[in-house]
Amino acid sequence: MASRAAVNRSGAARRILLLLPTRPVTRSLLAAVTTRSVTTLPSASTYPSRQRNKLPQPRQQGQQQPSSLQQRTYHSTTHPPPPGPFTPAETSLLTTALTSHVPVHGFTLQSLTLAARDLSLLDISPSFLGPAPIARLIHFHLYTTRTTLSSLAAQHTDLLSGLTIPEKVELLTWLRLKQNEPIIQHWQQALAVLAQPSHVPTAVKELAMLADEVYYLAGDKSVDPSWYTKRGALSGIYAAAELFMTTDKSEGFQETRRFLRRRLQEAEELGGAVKGVGEWVGFTASAGINVLRSKGVRI
Amino acid sequence: MAAARPALRRAVPSLRSTFLPHHQQPQCHHHVTISRRSLSTSSSFRNDTPNTSSSSTADRETHFGFSTVTESQKRALVASVFTSVADSYDKMNDLMSFGWHRIWKDHFVSTLNPGFSPLSSSSDPSSSPQHILDIAGGTGDIAFRMLNHAHVVNQNPNVKVTISDINRAMLSVGKSRSSEQLPASQQAALSFIEANAEDLTKTRPLQPILSQQEQTFFDPSTATSSIPDNSVDLYTVAFGIRNFSNIPAALKEAYRVLKPGGVFACLEFSKADKHPLFNSVYKEWSFRAIPLIGQLVAGDRDSYQYLVESIERFPRQEEFRDMILGAGFRVSGDGWEDLTGGVAAVHRGMKPR
Repeated sequence: MASRAAVNRSGAARRILLLLPTRPVTRSLLAAVTTRSVTTLPSASTYPSRQRNKLPQPRQQGQQQPSSLQQRTYHSTTHPPPPGPFTPAETSLLTTALTSHVPVHGFTLQSLTLAARDLSLLDISPSFLGPAPIARLIHFHLYTTRTTLSSLAAQHTDLLSGLTIPEKVELLTWLRLKQNEPIIQHWQQALAVLAQPSHVPTAVKELAMLADEVYYLAGDKSVDPSWYTKRGALSGIYAAAELFMTTDKSEGFQETRRFLRRRLQEAEELGGAVKGVGEWVGFTASAGINVLRSKGVRI
Repeated sequence: MAAARPALRRAVPSLRSTFLPHHQQPQCHHHVTISRRSLSTSSSFRNDTPNTSSSSTADRETHFGFSTVTESQKRALVASVFTSVADSYDKMNDLMSFGWHRIWKDHFVSTLNPGFSPLSSSSDPSSSPQHILDIAGGTGDIAFRMLNHAHVVNQNPNVKVTISDINRAMLSVGKSRSSEQLPASQQAALSFIEANAEDLTKTRPLQPILSQQEQTFFDPSTATSSIPDNSVDLYTVAFGIRNFSNIPAALKEAYRVLKPGGVFACLEFSKADKHPLFNSVYKEWSFRAIPLIGQLVAGDRDSYQYLVESIERFPRQEEFRDMILGAGFRVSGDGWEDLTGGVAAVHRGMKPR
């Protein structure tokens, strides 16, 4: 009896399932509401293509592997880093532009086209960089200065040894600021491009990654919420110092370095003050609770 | 050239009986059934056979909307679609995309920036010549914008544009529009050729269609010229490549004709499924409203049914980017740019030196 009832129920379920719409359009509505699937129709493409769930096939020699295939969300000290958002063809064009032409012509299409001519490419070649080639060039500058910071730190181990972590942070930030020297006269223009709404996410992400890189190279090993507050504070300080540097005319940018030191000092004092206030509040609250308990309040 | 508008459903059985021997005729229907689609795998495409003889590739399977046909059939079917829509192509594009296709095309051309040349004291700044090849650009939308951008915005009169299309009806529409809309200097920089993008070694300058009995698409046996290797600066194809029978062959031809450093750019409908809710609304609009508009405004439901089905069958952004890489091009970053949430996408590549 019970088994027959079970069979009837499953038969009814199957009949209901058959009634569900199978037209692709309504299936897509269902998919939109229920799952996060990427496509709703079978992708039986008639052209050779990678299957979605397989590992990427090894490519023929000479073909680049797009960077989106190699992104990983973890950091590893024992494996080489992933290639990053710039492909080799892009990297050669943008490096030539940054080193040879941006100091003279600024972050403009002029620099990119002259760089293309240097590499025996065509005037139209910079168009392959995407819809915003100038922003791409500026992003490339941010990316290369950040990723070469570790090799810079390795060159200055004599300076870095024997310093406390805040002092190392100051030195590494100063090294990063000095990397802007060749193009500093065009940096205000570059910041204006980065301030456009479509490029703000890239700029903010690069700033956050730079702050993390500086603290990592300084040897910071904190695992408490101060991880976030330190990096947030450094992001703000670095952005202010960078902007200050664009109008600094002093010898060797000493004024910028003093500005940086003053801001870091303030952040430390503020951190100490916040910690002190927190301690006072905690002590006062627990003392107050103990007083109330001594009066008989059940807390 | 008032093209008659054959109902595609009537045309398909007759075309199929023309191209296939009787014992091989499949059941023909346009409607979607999931089981049929999953069975219609094209195992012939899994192995990348670089076959160039037309007799063996003409029978290779491909898709025409949601049905499976051979390549030669697809060519003929696509030809009949575009012959019937040639006159009202722009009006239909406006109705289907609410005029948004103009913004996509403007963005496409302005970001490619044809005709830009750096100022230099030694040479005349406007002298650098460029040769642009616009494939499947019959009615001239992209080509006219390229000419305006190069000659007027970038002040470079040495930019020449060649429009190539396999469909002579579309090219004739483009030619008459160019004589009406373009100034004389830009008309002089424009040329029209008939060619199959999968084999640009066989081309001929546009011959006007004189009678209704003539074939409206290009016959390679009448070719009189070819596009040489390494001769084109910029190769563009806008809303055309999904109609090709053999996309990898077209990409290889693009690679052949481009100069080292030349840029390949493709504007095409793509997948909007990174935004599921928007995507479901878009699919409803595509499959319900567009064929209906085609029927009411142009009197041709089947062509527009083919249109939305061909959009659905086109590979997604990542797959098409991999095909571009497979042809030897280099890309930048992800390799594509989504427009309007992925409804259209611009793929760019560069031929390396």
